[in-house]
Amino acid sequence: MPALITIGVWIYKPLVQTFQLATYEWNLLPFSPKVFVGLTNFERLLTLPDMQQAAWNTVLYIVGTLPFSVFLPLAIALVTEDLHPRWRATYRALIFIPMIVPPVVASVVWRWLLHPTNGVVNLTLQNGFGLDPISFFRDTNIAIGSIIFISGWKLIGFATLIFAAAIANVDRTLLEAAQLDGANRWQSITRITLPLISPTLLFMALLSVLLSAQWSFAYINVLTQGGPRGATTNLYYLLWQYGFGTFAVGWSSAAGVILFVAFGLLAWVGLALIRRYSFYDA
Amino acid sequence: MRVLTLLATLFLSTAIAQSYLPPLDPNEDITITFYNYNLASAGLGAQGTQRLIDEFMEANPNVTVEGVGVSSDQMISRIQADVVAGRAPDVAQIVFDDLDFLANGLGITPLEELVAPEELAAHYEGFNPRGLELGRLDGSTYGLAYTFSTPVLWINEDLFRAAGLDPDAPPTTWAAVQAAAQTIQDATDAYGVYVSVFGQFDWMFQSLVLSNSGRVLSEDRSELTFDTPEAIGAVQMLRDLRDAGLKPDLGFNEALEAFLTGNLAMYVQTSAVQSYLLSASQGVFELGAAKLPAFGDKPVQPTNSGSALFILTDDPMKQRAAWELMKFATSERGYTIITTEIGYLPLRPAIVRDPAYLGDWVAANPIVEPNLAQLENLSPWVPFPGPNYKQMALLMMAAVEEAVFGDAPVADVMLDAHERASALMPR
Amino acid sequence: MTADTPRRRTRPNVVGHASLLALSLLSVFPIYWMIATSVRPTNELLTSSLVPSALTWEHYRYMWDAIPMDSMLVTTFLMSVAITVTQLLTSLLAAYAFARWSFPGGRILFGLFALTWLVPFQVTMIPNYVLLSNLRWLDTLWALVVPQTASAFAILLLYQSVNAFPRDLLDAARIDGANSWSTLWRVLVPNLRAPLATLAILLFISSWNEYFWPLLVTRDIERSVVQIGLQMFLTSEGNLWGPMMAGATVASLPILVLYIVLQRQVVESFMKSGLR
Repeated sequence: MPALITIGVWIYKPLVQTFQLATYEWNLLPFSPKVFVGLTNFERLLTLPDMQQAAWNTVLYIVGTLPFSVFLPLAIALVTEDLHPRWRATYRALIFIPMIVPPVVASVVWRWLLHPTNGVVNLTLQNGFGLDPISFFRDTNIAIGSIIFISGWKLIGFATLIFAAAIANVDRTLLEAAQLDGANRWQSITRITLPLISPTLLFMALLSVLLSAQWSFAYINVLTQGGPRGATTNLYYLLWQYGFGTFAVGWSSAAGVILFVAFGLLAWVGLALIRRYSFYDA
Repeated sequence: MRVLTLLATLFLSTAIAQSYLPPLDPNEDITITFYNYNLASAGLGAQGTQRLIDEFMEANPNVTVEGVGVSSDQMISRIQADVVAGRAPDVAQIVFDDLDFLANGLGITPLEELVAPEELAAHYEGFNPRGLELGRLDGSTYGLAYTFSTPVLWINEDLFRAAGLDPDAPPTTWAAVQAAAQTIQDATDAYGVYVSVFGQFDWMFQSLVLSNSGRVLSEDRSELTFDTPEAIGAVQMLRDLRDAGLKPDLGFNEALEAFLTGNLAMYVQTSAVQSYLLSASQGVFELGAAKLPAFGDKPVQPTNSGSALFILTDDPMKQRAAWELMKFATSERGYTIITTEIGYLPLRPAIVRDPAYLGDWVAANPIVEPNLAQLENLSPWVPFPGPNYKQMALLMMAAVEEAVFGDAPVADVMLDAHERASALMPR
Repeated sequence: MTADTPRRRTRPNVVGHASLLALSLLSVFPIYWMIATSVRPTNELLTSSLVPSALTWEHYRYMWDAIPMDSMLVTTFLMSVAITVTQLLTSLLAAYAFARWSFPGGRILFGLFALTWLVPFQVTMIPNYVLLSNLRWLDTLWALVVPQTASAFAILLLYQSVNAFPRDLLDAARIDGANSWSTLWRVLVPNLRAPLATLAILLFISSWNEYFWPLLVTRDIERSVVQIGLQMFLTSEGNLWGPMMAGATVASLPILVLYIVLQRQVVESFMKSGLR
C-alpha cells in the first residue's frame, strides 16, 4: 500500500520520536546536552496563563465554525441543486471564489475592510448609520467572532463543493420514485437526500470539529496574534506560540503530544459515530 | 619588496598559531552561503543587500557568495534544521535576541579566537563602540553588528499644525507627549499617540524600561528584573495614556495603517520603516521625526532592533571568506549602501558628514537626524539566557499587553508574569 | 423531461435568489478589493474609495521584476499537479481497499490514517527535513511532492463515496469475471467522477497554497513557489501591498480556471447519472 508507506515514513516515524523528545529539554543540536526533565514540559504548557482561555476559545471556534462548514453550505448546496443548471453553476462558482485567494491575502483585505479608522465597513456604519466605529480585531468580545467569520468565509465554498458532490451522487431514481409517491420537496430532502448523504455530513462535521482550531490559524496569525489579551487564541495557536514558534524541541514535542491526544479522543468518538451511521446501504 | 612582506606575513601568520584564520588564497575558489533576511523580501532590502554582495564579489573574484533569503522569524529554526541535517550556512544575519542561544546553545566561535587582535582592532577603527557592544556577550564578540534601527517618534506634522502645535518642537518627554496628544484629539478627529511596543520582540519595551532607569535582566544575566518599580513604571506610563483615552486600542498593523492615512498624530516605531513611511506619506501628509521621548529628566536610553552577522562554518577558509564579507559589509562603503539603499543606521559615525560617503545623502534627508543622534546613547538589546529564552520574552510581552489594555493593576500583572518567567531561567 | 420539472425549477423563489445573491456578493466583494488594490496608485492603496481614481499597472510591473513569477508559477503548477495526481491515486486505492475488503487490523489501520490529521506539521517538519537532506532531494521537486503523496483527508472523503456505492454493482462485475483491479477502473471510477473531481479541486488548491514546507526545502528563489513569492512583499521595512495584491491576483487565476473546468465534470456526471 503506497499510501501506508508514505504516511508511515513521513508522519508516524517522526511522531514516535516526538513522544520521546517531549520529556527532554534540548535544542535538537547533536553536540548540545540533552537533559531529561520528565513531564516538566507538559506541566509548563498546561499551566500557561492563557491556557484556560485558549481551551474555552477552542470550544467557541468549534461551535462557531460549524454553521460555515456544515449548515450554510448544506443549505446552499440543496437550494442551488433545484435551480436551473446555469444559475446553479454561477452561484456555486461565486460562492467558491474565496477559496482561490491565499489566506494571507484574504486576511489583509478583510483587515482593510474592517479597519477602525478607514475601513469601508466602519465608514459605512459611521456615515450611514451614525454609529461609533467598531474595533473588529481589538474588542475582546468581538475579535473572536471576526476571526471565525473570516475563516468561515473562506470555508463555505469548500464545504458547498463537497456537499454538492455528495448530492450529485444520490440515486436519481429514488427521488423520482418518491415524487411519484406524492412526496413534496421537503419530504424528499429529509427522507431521502439527507439520510443518503449523512456519512458526508458527519464527515464534514468531524473534520470541522477537529480542524477548526487549525483552520483559523492563518487568520489569527496575521490579524491578531492571539490577542487582544488572549481573546482570539486557541489551543493550537497557543501551543504553536510557545512550542513550535521556538526551537526548544521539548516544548514543541510536548505541545504536539497534547494536541494529538486531545483531538485524538475527539476523533475516536467521531469515527465511532460515523461507522455507526454508515450502514444504511447494506 | 611588497612580495617579501606578503610572504613574511603569510609565514608569520601560519607560524604563530593555527588559531587565527589563514588569509584568502587567490588561487583557490571559495563558495560561501549567506543566510540573509533582507534577501527574503522583494523590496529595498533585497536590492541593497544584493548590491552589497555583488560589490564584495567584484572586489574578491575568487569568493562566491550564495545569498539565501530566510525571513527573520524563520532564521533560527531554519539554521537549527540545517545544523541537524549537516548543511548549516557559513554566515548568517541574525536578530540580536538570539545572541545567547547562538553563543551558548549553538556554541559558535567568538571573533577573538578567529581573527588576530591587530586585524580586529584595525577593523574596529572608526566603529561606534556602542554598536560593537551589541554583538558581545560575557566579554566575547560573537556577532558583528550589522543592520539596525532605533525607536523614533514619527509625527504627522499636518495634524500638529491643525491643533496649533509646532511640529518643529516635538514633545521630548512622555508628559509632553500626553499633553500634545490631548490637544490634538481635542482639535481634530485623529488619534493622539500609539507606541508600537507589543509583539514578539521586546526591544522597544527594553528601550522604555532602560529609559526609566530600569532593566529587564540583571547585569550578571542571572535574574529577570522586569518586576522592579522602574519597569512597572514604564508600563504604567503606557497604561496612563490608554486610560486618558489617548492611546487607541489598535493592532500593530492597524496602527501603521491609521498613521499612514492621517488618522494618527504620533507613532513610536522603529526607524527601519523610514523609507516606507516617506514614500507612503507622500501626498497624504508631511512626515516628521523626533527622538524617543524621556521619562521626566531621566536619560533616554534607546535600544536597537536589527541584526548582527555571525560566522557559523568551521572550515577555516570559509571562515576567512565569511569574515572578509563581514568586514566589507560593515566598512565605510558597506554602510553607505546599507543606509542609503535600505534605510538602516550607519555604525561608522565618521562617514555621516563625509561627502565621499553619506554627507550629501544626510543633508538631503534631514529626517534621519534624530535617529543618528540616538546612536550616541544607544544601549544593547539584551538577549534572555538559556534554552527557554523565547518563552520568557513571550510571557513578558503578553503581560505588557495585558497590563496596558486590561483592567487589572499594572503591578499585579507584571509580578505574576515575572514569577512565571523566572521559573524558566536556567539554573 | 417530466411534467413537474418546471415547477421544481421555479420553487426556490425570490427569497432563495436574494439570499444567494447576498452570499455571492459577500464572497466576491473582498476579491474585488484585492483586484482593485492591485491597480490603484501607490498613495491611494489604503483609501476606502470603492473605485480606483486611476488605473495603473506599476504594481504588476514591479511584482514581475522583483520576483521570478514565471518560474514560480511553473514550479507551483508542477508541484500541485503531482501532489493532486498521486494523492488521488493513493487515496482511491486505499479507500477501495478499506471499503471493499475487511482484513485483520483493517480498522486499526483506518484509525491510524484518520489520526494523521491531528499530527501538527511542526512535529514532522525537522525529521523529514533531515531525511530529505540525506536523500539529497532538497531544492528539487521531489522534496516538495514526495512527503505528501497520501493524505488522510482524501482517503476518508473517498471512503465515504466508495462505501456509498451500491455493493451489488461491484458484485455484479465480480460475477462477470472482472478482477478487482478492472472493477475499480471500469465500474467504480467512472461512477465516482463527481467526488473525484471535487477532491482534485480541493487537493490542487491546498497544494497551490502551500507555504511552510516549500519555504523549508527550497533555497533557490528560482525554484520556489508562488506563496513564498507573495510573502516576500511583506518586509520588515514596510509591506508592499500593491505588488502583493498584483501577485495574488495572478496566482489566483489558475485555480479559478481549474475550478471551472473540473466543476463541469461534477455537473456532467450528475447529468449522466440523473434521469432527466
